[in-house]
Amino acid sequence: MSFLNAEEPSACDLVTDFGINILWHPSLGMELGDNLQKLLKSCASGQTALDILVFEGSVVNAPGGTGEWNRFAGRAMKDWVRDLCKVATFVVAVGDCATWGGIPATAPNPSESQGLQFLKRKAGGFLGTQYRSKAGLPVINVPGCPAHPDWITQIVVAVATGRGGEIALDDFQRPKTFFTSFTQTGCTRNMHFAYKVSATEFGQRKGCLFYDLGCRGPMTHSPCNRILWNRQSSKTRAGMPCLGCTEPEFPFQDLAPGTVFKTQTVMGIPKDMPTGVEKSGYIKLTSAAKAASPRWAEEDLFVV
Amino acid sequence: MDDSAAREEVRSLLASGLVTEVFPRADSQDDALAITARLRGADGLRQKLVIAGFTLETIVYAGIEQPCSTCMYFLVHRRYCELSELKLPVEPEWSCRLWRM
Ligand code: SF4
Ligand code: SF4
Repeated sequence: MSFLNAEEPSACDLVTDFGINILWHPSLGMELGDNLQKLLKSCASGQTALDILVFEGSVVNAPGGTGEWNRFAGRAMKDWVRDLCKVATFVVAVGDCATWGGIPATAPNPSESQGLQFLKRKAGGFLGTQYRSKAGLPVINVPGCPAHPDWITQIVVAVATGRGGEIALDDFQRPKTFFTSFTQTGCTRNMHFAYKVSATEFGQRKGCLFYDLGCRGPMTHSPCNRILWNRQSSKTRAGMPCLGCTEPEFPFQDLAPGTVFKTQTVMGIPKDMPTGVEKSGYIKLTSAAKAASPRWAEEDLFVV
Repeated sequence: MDDSAAREEVRSLLASGLVTEVFPRADSQDDALAITARLRGADGLRQKLVIAGFTLETIVYAGIEQPCSTCMYFLVHRRYCELSELKLPVEPEWSCRLWRM
C-alpha cells in the first residue's frame, strides 16, 4: 500500500520512465488464481526472468515449520519465497516484517515469523546468512512500519537501472544512503532538543518529544525528516514521537500500558540515550543547555 | 492568581513545615506513573505538594542533584513546572520526586 503512494518516482514512473515490467503486485497484478500460479511457477522455473523480487510481510513458519498458516497461490507462502529467492537477480525486503520479522515476530512469536535474512537483530532469518541473490548480493533491507514509498521506488530504480551493485549496505543490510542519518536529522524540533525544552503533549508545536514522550529520533536510523512523508511532513514535525520503526527491535518495550509514548527513565535519566552519548555527559550537557536556553525556545515558534 | 502569588503560596506552605513525600523518588516509569495517577486525584494544592514530594531545597539522590532547574518540565524563563499534573510556578532550586532529565 505504501508503495502505491510513491511520488519520487511514482509507481507509474517505474513503468513509463524506467521500463519496469511489474509482473505482479497484490493491488496492481492482473493475474488471479490459476493464472497467478502459472506466473509464479514460470518465474520459479526460470522461464520468466525475475530481475527483482520485492517481498513484503514476514515469512510465517507456523504451524511446526510448515508455513501452512500463510498459504498463497495454492501452497505455503514460504515455499514460494524460497523458490523465487533462488532465481531472483536481486531481492528487496520491504517493511519490518520482511526485513526482521516485525511485530509478528515479537515474542512469543506464535506464527514463528522470520524476516528474510534476520530475526530481529540476529542475522540468518529464513534464508540464512549465506544467502546471495543471483547478482551476488544479500537481501536489500528497506525497513519501516511502513517503509516510506520513495525509499522503495528509489531502490527499485537503482537496481533496474543497473546500479544495484553500487548500493552500499549497513550491518543490517539497509541502504546507507537512507539509513546512516537519524530520524532527528532535519527534525524541526532540533532547537528544542538542543535547549532541552520538552513537549508534554502530542501535537504541541513547541518542544522536543525525546524527554517525555519517548521519541526515538536520536537513536533511530531513518531519513524521515529528510525525505518527508507525503512530501509534507513527518511524525515528529507533526508532534508525534518517532517509534523507531526502522530498527530491528521495533516494537520497543513490552507495549505494556505506560511504556508506549513515554520516555523510559531510571532514576530520572533516560534509559535509552541518544546514540553515542554517555550518561554523565548527558547530565552535564542537559544542565548546561537548560541554563543557557533562550526565552524564545519556550514559546511557540511556528507560524502558519 | 498570577505566577508570583502562586509561587509565594507554595513557598509559604512548604516553609510552614508541610511534610511531603520526598521519598521514595520516582526511580522507574512505573513509579512515576503511580505518583502522577495519585496527583490526578489530588484535592487542592496542599495535597499536590505532598504527593509530589516538594522541597524548598535541592535533593541529591543516587549522586545526582535533582533541582527543578535541570528538570525537563521546568521552563527556565517563566520559572514554571509544565508537568501536566502539577502546572505550578516553582523556583530553580526547588525539587520534587518526579524530577527527570
Ligand atoms: S522530536 Fe524527536 S527527532 Fe525531533 S529533535 Fe526531538 S528527539 Fe529528535
Ligand atoms: S516535575 Fe520537575 S520541574 Fe516540576 S516540580 Fe518536579 S522537579 Fe520541579
